[in-house]
Parts: sequence; structure tokens; C-alpha cells
Amino acid sequence: MSTDFDDKVMADAARLARDIAPERDLWPGIEAALTRPADAARHAGDPRPGRAPWYAQAAAAVLLVAGSSLMTYVVVDREPVTVQQPAPAGLVLESASFGGQYELSGGYKLARTNVQAQMEHELRKLSPEARAEVEDNLAVIRGAIDEINAALAQEPNNVLLQDLLFKAYREELAVMRKVGGLTQDIMLRNDI
Amino acid sequence: MAALLTAAGSDYSPGMVVAIEPTADEESAWIRRAQAADTRAFERLYRLHVDRVFGLCLRMTGNRSEAEDCTQEAFIQAWNQLGRFRGDSAFGTWLHRIAVNAVLGRLRRSQREQDRIRAAHEIAPAAAAVADTGELRDLAEAVDRLPAGARHVFVLNGIYGYSHEEASDMLGIAVGTSKAQLHRARRLLAQQLGQEGYER
Repeated sequence: MSTDFDDKVMADAARLARDIAPERDLWPGIEAALTRPADAARHAGDPRPGRAPWYAQAAAAVLLVAGSSLMTYVVVDREPVTVQQPAPAGLVLESASFGGQYELSGGYKLARTNVQAQMEHELRKLSPEARAEVEDNLAVIRGAIDEINAALAQEPNNVLLQDLLFKAYREELAVMRKVGGLTQDIMLRNDI
Repeated sequence: MAALLTAAGSDYSPGMVVAIEPTADEESAWIRRAQAADTRAFERLYRLHVDRVFGLCLRMTGNRSEAEDCTQEAFIQAWNQLGRFRGDSAFGTWLHRIAVNAVLGRLRRSQREQDRIRAAHEIAPAAAAVADTGELRDLAEAVDRLPAGARHVFVLNGIYGYSHEEASDMLGIAVGTSKAQLHRARRLLAQQLGQEGYER
């Protein structure tokens, strides 16, 4: 490679546009996020760090152990969130997501309900701060789920949106499972 | 004109053309107000910096949709972390650091995510090049095609003028790695542009 050519490339690179306007106004989406309770609280709590405090992180790590061998088996290993086509006439499925065209599987919904109940039980053992942190995190994920569902209502066959929704549900489930594990782990350490 | 921008908290509308940048004092005032949870002041900061943040995200991801997401994520993170901004660096530099983290975070999230970005990139290639004209467009397209590691360093160092120390700090890599990636980027660009008859 010639030095002159290399120098020209670097000189030209410095001339490339640094400021590029997005095609749409991104502020409304940002503003909506800022005014969500979780983000508003986080901002009001400045200079609270963006990452979860140690106890919430520890909770997330420890809760993994928490009582969900069954849930782990059912939800993670054997029954990931599945998307089903609308139920045939005569079958009543709980309306959940995918803009009404798709339903979450019954097994997943049952597992989610169970994990939710377990998490709420475990949450009561946490300090108010830790509990708020977990609830904030869940609120963010659930807000995302709502937004994706709203988008899916417009584009029910959008595979990318379905994939995003799938991931969001998995994240929600992971948080709930982790919460349960944290407090149980703390209890074990206290026992010692 | 600058007075127009600071006359009142709600004097801004999205259609308004901001022709003159505020003074450093005015920007500092907006930052302080935003730190006090004034979203109107934060919107002014957003309007002031969004093009550069979006440009950085677009150059780094090579995908307009991803760049929009990263830009939004960066400003939301900035809002959440605003209390920690002490003015040790320029606000724009601070924002860039957050934007780089947003880009890297999305890329690290999962292989599937990266595959999705790559697939989207193939559908709408060279998104970053639309902002450039003439032979610069060839260069922009070539930068777009660089492997991620080399592209990230080249964008920060070659286009946005950050030093290797700054770029490596933003990217979470060693300074030596940053230099090696830049060398790699330059070699790949020379190969690409040489094949395409880039003017020597």
C-alpha cells in the first residue's frame, strides 16, 4: 500500500460527514421512555448508577438457584415460548399478545404464572430498595413487551417483531427466576 | 438567535430550525436543568447533539434502523446517568461514549442479534454512505464493509478524530489493539478502494 494512498484515505476519512440527521424524529420515543416511571425514578435518584446495585445483581445471580427446577425444566429446557396460530373455534385461549393473531402457549403461560407467584413471594424478603430495583427492571421489560405487541398489532406477520417479543418474554422470565434464587441463596448463607 | 433557544422552556417545536449553536454557557445551563429533571432542557440537548450521535451510531453499525435504536438508547441512558456528568469532558464526548456503549451492547447481546443486523445490512447496504458525495461515498461504502472491530476503530479514530487512547477506552480494548485494528482497516480499505479504482 502506498503511503500517499494511505494518507489520502485518512485525509478523506476526516472529511466524511460526522453529523447525519436521522430520517425521523427520534425524540418522541425517547421522551416516552424518560417519562416511564422506572426511568423517571432512576433519574430522580441521581447520582444513582445506571446498573443495578450489588444486591440486585447478586439477587439476579443467586436467584437462579431458586426454586424452579420445575420451572427451569418446563420453561427453559422443554417449553420455550412458542407462537401458535389462532385456536380453532370452540377453544378459548387467553388473549395475550401478538396483536391478537397469535397466542402464547398454555404451558408457557402456566409456567410464567407460577414463576411470577414465586417471585412475588421472594420479593417480599428483599429490602424495599432491592424490591424497587427488580420491579423497575421488570417494568422496563414489560413496557417493551407492550410496545412490541402494539407494533405486532399493526404487523402481525413481522418475524423480527415476533423474535423481539420472544426475547422480551424470555428476559422477563429470566429476571423473575433470578429474583427467586437470590433470596433463597441469601437465606442459605444466613443459615450458615 | 441563540436567545430564541433559551427564551422559554417550551419555545421549541420539532419543526423549528436551529441555525446557530448555543454558547457553552447556554449548553451548561441546559445540562443543569436536565439534571434537575427538566425534559425540555434535555430535548434541547438532544436537538443539539442528535445528528452527531446518530452519525456515529450509523457509521459504527452500518444500518439505519439499528442506528436509530442505538441513538434512542444512548439518549435514554444519558438521561439516566446525567447526574454523574461532572463536565470533566465535553458533553458531546460524554454522549459519544454512551452511544458507543449502546452500539457495543447491542452487538454483544446475542449472535442472533448480530445475524439480524447483518441480514438487514445486506438488504439495505451502505446506509452511512448516503450522507456523503462524490468519491467520499466510495470510501464511506468501503468503511461500511469493514469487519466490526476494524470499522469501530476506524470510525472513532479516522472519522471522528478520537485518539487511540480515547478510542480504546470507549471500545474497552487495549491501545495496542486499537492501533492494530486501525492498521487492519487501512489495509482492507486500500485493497477495496484499489480494486474500485479509487483516485490515487
